[in-house]
Formats: sequence, structure tokens, C-alpha cells
Amino acid sequence: MENTLIYRRQSKWHHVGKRIAQSRFLILMIIPAVVFYFIFCYIPMYGILIAFTKYYPKLGIWGSLTEHFVGWKNFSVIFNNDPEFLNVIRNTILIGIGKILIGWVAAIVVALLINELRMRSFKKASQIIVTFPHFLSWVVIAGFIASLFSRTGVIDDIIQACGGNRVSFLADGNFFLGLVFVSDIWKEAGWSSIIYLATMAGISPELYEAADIDGATRMQKVWHITLPGIKPTAVLLLILSVGGILSAGFDQIFNLYNPLVYEQVDILDTYIYRQTFTNLVNPGVGTAIGLFKSVVSFVLVIAVDRIAKLCGERGIL
Amino acid sequence: MRKNDFPKIERLPLRARGTANNHRFGWPDVVIFIILFLYVLAVVFPFYNAFVVSISSETAYMGSDLLLWPKDITFEAYEAVFTSKAMWNGLGITMILLVFGTAYQLFFTVITGYAMSRDKWFGKNFVMNMILVTMFFGGGLVPYYFLIKSLGLYNTIWVMIIPGAIDTFNMLLMRNYFASLPRELEESAKIDGANDIQIFLKVYLPLSLPMLATVGLFFAVGNWNSWYNGMLFIENGSLKPLQLVLREMIATISSSTESPSSTTYSENLIMASIFFTIVPMMCFYPFLQRFFVKGIVVGAIKG
Repeated sequence: MENTLIYRRQSKWHHVGKRIAQSRFLILMIIPAVVFYFIFCYIPMYGILIAFTKYYPKLGIWGSLTEHFVGWKNFSVIFNNDPEFLNVIRNTILIGIGKILIGWVAAIVVALLINELRMRSFKKASQIIVTFPHFLSWVVIAGFIASLFSRTGVIDDIIQACGGNRVSFLADGNFFLGLVFVSDIWKEAGWSSIIYLATMAGISPELYEAADIDGATRMQKVWHITLPGIKPTAVLLLILSVGGILSAGFDQIFNLYNPLVYEQVDILDTYIYRQTFTNLVNPGVGTAIGLFKSVVSFVLVIAVDRIAKLCGERGIL
Repeated sequence: MRKNDFPKIERLPLRARGTANNHRFGWPDVVIFIILFLYVLAVVFPFYNAFVVSISSETAYMGSDLLLWPKDITFEAYEAVFTSKAMWNGLGITMILLVFGTAYQLFFTVITGYAMSRDKWFGKNFVMNMILVTMFFGGGLVPYYFLIKSLGLYNTIWVMIIPGAIDTFNMLLMRNYFASLPRELEESAKIDGANDIQIFLKVYLPLSLPMLATVGLFFAVGNWNSWYNGMLFIENGSLKPLQLVLREMIATISSSTESPSSTTYSENLIMASIFFTIVPMMCFYPFLQRFFVKGIVVGAIKG
């Protein structure tokens, strides 16, 4: 027994040269990827050291580290419960979780509606239309929203025509928060429903036929066949999205928001951006907050994976 | 909707979609239709509104009357857009990103996906782990910013192309697709004396054209919509892509919500510019939708 083990170990290293030669073309194909990931993903990880310095771009990372090492000082905004930062964290979690849950339900509802629709032509047309907004950039959608919801926009016109008072949706934080969720549904619900529609199409028709024989109503078939059929997919997608809670959507918020609504919709990513590039706070602080975000997201992913496996679902790692 | 439309629809073979069809066309169907119709209407309405605004005069928009259909129709805004140097210049930059960026990204993403789909080779696990780690952990915005600066990419067109070489999601999509093709193809080609590159180019690549189209389209849309790297790293106005030009116009209205009169660009000009950027997509999308759908369905079967 022991002998075999030793023999195998020897042979593994003995034939390294041969194994490299055998796969030389595949190794050649992967070299650009290794270089790419090293430069654009791993060097920024080394750049995390900026978080522990008062950073001066001229000195570079190592120079700043040796001459202006500040320890955990840049993290003080996190540890000292800075009210603005706490508010940003609160917004990020609220928007992150809210978008995940609302988007998840909306996608399933849209998929059920399309699946249950009996008119073939409308079914196809509606699928094409509702999936299209996914491919628009938030720049364009911000333009749509500014036009619809500004003080002179059509939504206010409609409210006035119905006898209500004009509302400044874009200047009122609570309305704005609602717009963040609504616009996210508008953009993504149709697209996200596709995966559920594909899963529904894979459910065996025999199940529905059997249910018909037993005299099940339509609602019962949805409840007892369709929903259980998409449950594994739905749970997996929900688990997968948890790691992104703290990435509550930079593109969306950044293109939509304005100083009047910072209090309700400023999130970590926009806060880091503004501190670093608008308020010109030392880059060390932005890096520190970015590191905080990465670490928390990473822990969340690991935790959710463990919990999912404990509950008998398929993990993600 | 006319009443006698209903029996006709019932005769269509609808069972293929997974729902048995022996119920009569009843009120639930009408309710479903109405809800879905309202949803489709809500999706379409912003487009319609933008169109109405773009061809109405500025005074009609500013007035507090309900603007549900075009008023004082004028094509001034479109004229301004089509004669705007910034827009055409932006379109030119975006076309460069669209053509060269997409080809570049497709090349590196596909060869990486292929290599990762092959059986054990020396170093495969190491590279796979190296890639997967980046999906869950990263350095964040600020170190990335200084990396790009020190690479000398700042304020060059390369900054919008080079950092996008490989998209991990699309790479895994390609990998799954290659892995789903029969292994025997590789074995028989090997017996005929082909090496890995020949097998890739002559056997696997021709078989994966539909998936190539899917991934290529995802990249193309990404490039068409690209503005983020441009905003961070481009100062030179003549290098700004279309979406960034548009963004800077829109930013002037959303940052002055309380006093619309102070805007530099009129609302109908902005809406016309938006149409300038989305009409190409609207024209192609209905014909290309099936490719995108294939991407999401294949991507879900993750290994």
C-alpha cells in the first residue's frame, strides 16, 4: 500500500516535463488569460495595501507604504460609526436586499403570466418587448426617468389631470427610492423571467395530464406542479444573488441620483466614488471602504454557501 | 378585442409550453391577458413618451398640459442631433469599440473557454482557481484606478478595450458549451494526428458558431453601452463614446431638478439623442433575441 503511494508520488513529478509537453498547446492558449487576470485582478488586490497608507500616487504603493504608513486610520470612518457612513451602509443593505427580493418575485410572476397565457402571437411579442430593456444602459434609462418624472414630465401631468398635486419625484428621497426599485423591475424582470420560462418548459407534460385527470383546477396546477418545478432554480438564483447585496447597483444610482436624495439612496459604491473623485479625500480611505465591502461580500458568499449545503440545496462553491 | 377571436385561439397547439389545454378559454385567460398587456404597456410607455417629447416643441413640454401625444410637431431636435459633431464623434468611437473591442474580447474569451473545457492538463486546476477567486474577491475601484493610470492607459482609447479582454461569465458559458460537445470528436482528430490548436480551429470552433454568436452579441451590447471606463479615464472630449456624450447631457437635467430652466440642453434634444443611440438596437433586437435567450439558458446549466 505504502509502496504504491510513493511510486505514484514519484511518477507525478517525474513526468512533469512530459505532461507540460503534452499539453503545450493548451498552455499556450491559456497564457493570455493568466496574464490578463494577473494584471487586472491580482495587481489591484496588491493595491489593497493603499488602504493602510496616506497615499501619494507619485510615490507608488510601496513608497507610500514605507513612508506614510498609517495603520488602520483610514478605517476610522467605519469603526467610529460616522453617521454619514452608517447611513450609506443602511441604504446599501436596504436597496440591495430590496432589489434582490422584489426582482426575484417579479421575475417569477412574469414567467408564470407568460407561461399561462393562451395567445401564441401575443406570447412571443410580449417576450420580445419585456426582455428588451435589459439591453439598455442605465444612462438611457436615467434619461427616460428624468423625462417622465421631472416637474414638467408626463407623470406629474397625469397626476394633475386626475386632480392631484405635482410631486417632485426626483427631489424627494422616498419617492426616489421607490423609483430605484420600479426602474430595476422595469429593466430586469422580463429578462430574468426567461430562465424560469425555460425551466417551466422542461416540466413533464404528463404531470399536467395526470392533474387534469384528477380534476385539478388551473390554480392548483400552478401551485402544485409549476411552482415546485421551478423551485430548485429559484432557490439557486436567490442564493447566487446574496453575494451581490453590497453591490446595490452603481450604474443605476450613479446615473439617477442628485444631492437632494443622497440621504436615501447613496450606496457604498457611489460613496467611494464621490469621496475619491469628487471630494478628493485621500485614496487610502476609498480603498479601505472598498476592502471592507469586498471582505463582507466574500464572507456572505461563504456563509450562504454553507447554509445552503446544510439545508440540502446545491451550493455555489 | 372582438369576442369571436377566442374560439379561434383555442384551436392553436398550445400544449407544447407545458400547460395542458383542455380547459375552456375562460375568465382567467382574460385576466392574465389584461395584466400582461398592462405590463407590456408599462414597458413600452417610456419609449413612447421619449418619442413624443423628442418631436414636440420645448414649450409644449414645459407647459403643464398633459403631453400624451406630440404637440407642435417639430424635427428641430433630430436636426440638431444629426448635425451635432459630438454625437457623430461619439458614434465613431463607439463603432471602434464595437468592432475591435468585440473581436478582441471574443478571441481571448473563446480560447480561454476552450482550454478550460479540455480534460486535465498541466496547471488547469491552478488557473481555474485563479479565475474563480476573482469572481468573489477584488481590490475595488481605487486600486484599479491607479493601476490603469500607471499602465499608461489613462486618456487613451485602449482603456475602453484592453481591460475587457475576458469576461468570466461569458468564458464559463463558452467552456460549458465546448464541454457539452462529444468528446469523441477530439479523440478521433487526435488519432488523425491533429494537435490541440488544430482540433480547436477545425473541429470545435465550426461546431460552436451559434454560441459564438451569443457571446459575441453580449460583448457587442456591452461595448455599445460602454461609458464607465470612459467616464473614469477619458478627459479628451473627442475620445468619448456615445453613451458618455449622452450621459453628460442627461446629467445636466437630473442635477438641476428644481430649476429646469437652467438646463443647457433642451429636453427634446436629449430624447432625440437617446433615440439616436437606441434605434439601432431596437431594429436588430427582435431578430437576435433567440441568441441572447440561448446564452441565459446555457449559462444556467453551470458545471
